[in-house]
Formats: sequence, C-alpha cells, structure tokens
Amino acid sequence: MEPFIRAAAEINVEEIMAAIQKKIQDKKDAGLLKQSEIDEISEMELQPLPDFLEIPHIYEPVLYPGFTENMAPPAALEEAIQETGLAKGVMKKFRGLLYPLIRFMTRPLYVELKTGILDLQKKVPIILQSSEYVRLLHNAMHNMIVEASKLKTEEEILKTKIRFLEDKIEFLENRERALEKKLPG
Amino acid sequence: MNVHQFLTSYSYGDAIGNEALEIRDFLRSQGIGSEIFTLHFHPRYANQVRNYLEYDRFSAPANTVIYHFSIGSPVTKRFLRLRDRKVIIYHNITPYQFFLDYHRILAKDCFKGRLELKSLAGQVDLALGDSEYNRRELVAAGFKETGVLPLVMDFAKFDLPVLPVFREMFADGKTNILFVGRIIPNKKVEDVIKTFHLYQAHFNPESRLFIVGEYRGFERYVSALRELIAGLGVRDIHFSGHVPLAEMVSYAKLSHLYLHLSEHEGFCAPVLESFHLGIPVVAFDAGAVGETMNHGGVLVVRKDLLGVAGVCHEILSRPELKAAVLAGQEKALEKYLRPRTGKILLDNLRRLLP
Repeated sequence: MEPFIRAAAEINVEEIMAAIQKKIQDKKDAGLLKQSEIDEISEMELQPLPDFLEIPHIYEPVLYPGFTENMAPPAALEEAIQETGLAKGVMKKFRGLLYPLIRFMTRPLYVELKTGILDLQKKVPIILQSSEYVRLLHNAMHNMIVEASKLKTEEEILKTKIRFLEDKIEFLENRERALEKKLPG
Repeated sequence: MNVHQFLTSYSYGDAIGNEALEIRDFLRSQGIGSEIFTLHFHPRYANQVRNYLEYDRFSAPANTVIYHFSIGSPVTKRFLRLRDRKVIIYHNITPYQFFLDYHRILAKDCFKGRLELKSLAGQVDLALGDSEYNRRELVAAGFKETGVLPLVMDFAKFDLPVLPVFREMFADGKTNILFVGRIIPNKKVEDVIKTFHLYQAHFNPESRLFIVGEYRGFERYVSALRELIAGLGVRDIHFSGHVPLAEMVSYAKLSHLYLHLSEHEGFCAPVLESFHLGIPVVAFDAGAVGETMNHGGVLVVRKDLLGVAGVCHEILSRPELKAAVLAGQEKALEKYLRPRTGKILLDNLRRLLP
C-alpha cells in the first residue's frame, strides 16, 4: 500500500501503513471485507433534493416556440382538386357521356373527396379553436406539475426539518434523564 | 492611530468573527482604538459591533481599516471608497462550484467574491493572508504588498470543563469521533460519514460520530447526508446543530479523535482547537490544512477511506502512537500562540506607517 498519510518525523508512517495493510488483508482473507463493497461506498454520491427556486414556470413561449408564426394557413383545398383548362373540358364531356350509366352507381371518388374536404374546411376554425384550448390546458398542466414539484420539494425539506427537531427532542430527553440522574436525592 | 475592522458578517462561533474580536481586544490592550463594523451580525453581538454604514463618522486618513475578506458583498465597495489606510485579511473564498447544487445565492456571492478580490488588487496598502496558501492566491490576484498573519486565536477560552450532563450521556465507553464545522458541501461531511461507517463496521463497532456545527440554510445538504446515513445503515451519528462554546468544548473533550476531510480550507481553525484540547487529529490535505497543521497530527494526502479508517484505528488503539501524535500537535501549536500572532499583526501595521 502506497503511503497516503504524512506525519511528524517521530512517527513511523511506513510501520503504520504496514499495520493497516495487514489488518485489511486479514479481513479480506477472512471474507469480512470485499473490495467491491469499499469501492461501492467510496463512490456513493449524495442525492440532493432539487431546489424549488430553480424550477422555472413554463409559459406558452417555451412550450410552443413559434407556434403561431409557423402555423400553415388553411390550404385552398377546393382549388387543389379543381380540374382546369383542356382537362376540365375533356373530363366534363366524358362524364356527360357516362352520366346515364354512373348516375345509378356510387358517387365518384373525386366527388367524395371534394365533399369531405369541404366539410373539413368548414371545421378548420373549430380545430384552431380547439388547438388553442389544448394549448391552454397544456400550459395549465405544466404549471400544475411545476407547482406540485415545488410543493414536494418543500415537503421533503420540511420533513428534514422535522427529523432534526425529532432528533433534538430525543437528545433533550436524554439530556433531561442524564440531568435527573445527577440531581441529588 | 486607530485600527478599525470591516467584515461582511459576524456570526456566533464563526472563526472570522472570533478573529476580529481577538484583534480588537489585542489592539485595545496595546492602547490602539479599535471598533468592528459589519453588514450582518448575530443579535448576541449587537453591543459589540457597529453598522458599516456608520463608519463615515470614524473615517480619517491617519486610521487604518482592516477588511476581513471572504465573500463578495456591498462592504467591499464602501471599503474601497475610504480615505483611510487599507489592509485586507484574506480568509479565502470557497470555490462556488461546491454550492451549485445546494445554495445558489451563496454560489453567486462566492463567484462575485473572486471578482471583487481582483478589483481590490492595487487599491489596498497591504494584503495579508491567514496562511501562505491564501497569500499565494493574493499574489496570483495581482496584489503587490502581501504577508501572512496566522489566525489570531485565543485558546484560553476553550479551557472549560466538560458539562456533567454530557459526561453522563457520552462518556459511556464508546469511542467518540468528532467533526466540527459548518455543515456545508466543501467540508465533505459525506466522506467523514463514510469513513466512520468503515471504522465502525470493520474496526470498532462501539463508536460514535459527533457532527458539531451549524446547518441552517443547508437543509438540503443535510437531508442528502441523512439519506446517505440511511443507505449505509450506519448508527450512532449525532448532529448537534449550532451549540454554545461550553457544549462544543464538552463534545471535543469527550472525543477521542478529530476527523476532518474537507476539500477546501483557507485556514481550518478546528484543527488547531483540537490540537489545543489534546485530541489527535486526522485531516485531509486540502487548501491550507497541511500548512495549518504545521507537521502536527496526521495528514491524509489521498482519500483512501478504508485506509483513513485504519489510521484512526491505529491511533486510537496504540497509546504510544497517540502520545506521539499529541506531542507533535503540541509543538505545532506554538506557532499560533497569541503573543506571536499579535506581534506579527503589529509588525504588519507598522509597515504602513510613513
């Protein structure tokens, strides 16, 4: 064992180190001490409670950075599915020819799509309103979690203080008993 | 010539406050007028100190003002504006990193303190460190005129009897190990606890650890220490909190060994108090500790916790080794006796006279 202590010249450090090493080795040989146990103890880290002053409130800008700016405007969906120009004329004539046949069948896909999209477009303002509501709920929930965390930390600190007081009371009780023993009679 | 002192905080039992009081009494005994001015003070000392803002009434170019510097505070700004001769006694500033997890305000003040120290360089007539370690930091910060003034301590005040109640409670045949100091992260109380656990588990089950010192403001640190104690399953650890001097002396006199594993110290007064009280000291060589121990006690240069527990056991189980350690400590203490430190103080003050 490399000496890890220094002392006055009159003290034989080498001899102390040898004695310590022997005792430790004897304990290891007897299975009373394991190197892994010592390492584990040495490496144990303290786990401090969080400081509730350091827990920030989370407000909307933090939760939704650039939400409003980046929100895409509703697409002009109706226009997107409209045929234009030559295609429009050809399709119209073609549909006109087929109309007597297809009138008894289900509606064509493009009509279904168009109807669905128009319905969705009507719902856009409602969805936007709902998203606003979700944002508010999200904010509220975050802040409630922050407050709950703070309260939890505070509770832990108060528990610690109570434990100190309990120890103090126990000590004072012991002290009282010791004092009573010292009193004459 | 009057020599007044400035300090940021005067707490009860605090080494810096005690030194200020010792210096004041010593200077008065030499016929030199001396008062203490402070920003914060313990109510117990309300009749001993004055508010630092009152100093304007006392200020004069012929006076000398000693500023005990250990943390960033508004006192520094006021001190710099004085027309008196200026001396600082640097007690060192704990690196702010130690407090980041536990006390962000103190971390900020410590960080600010290091900046203020640099701003004081070139603005004072003399900068004293209470150890060579501190003096070297002053030189590194840019101070030209520097010196060493060991902490002025009155050891006689520790010559008190053990309280009978304490004897009844703790003189029960168990081996008592002592740690004294504020329960703050740089003191590495967790290492003291771990070492004590190894000592108790592998060398002496009949043992007890006294942790004597203020912990208010650091409840989260103490809470983490308690979790550690529970995790290790170690027993017989007694946190006393802040205690009056008579109780502190009782704890010390009932202890068989003093264990200090702090990782930052600008001086480390408890080591010398233990020297005076005849308790063998095992301390980790961090900051100025090695220098303060002055070849007395046992200095740990590497934190091998089981090894340290073994060293404690060797000292406690071998009377001839304990006697040799105590003899070394007694010799080491001579450097810090009040007549000697008082003379160093006066010599330094004379350096300022035209």
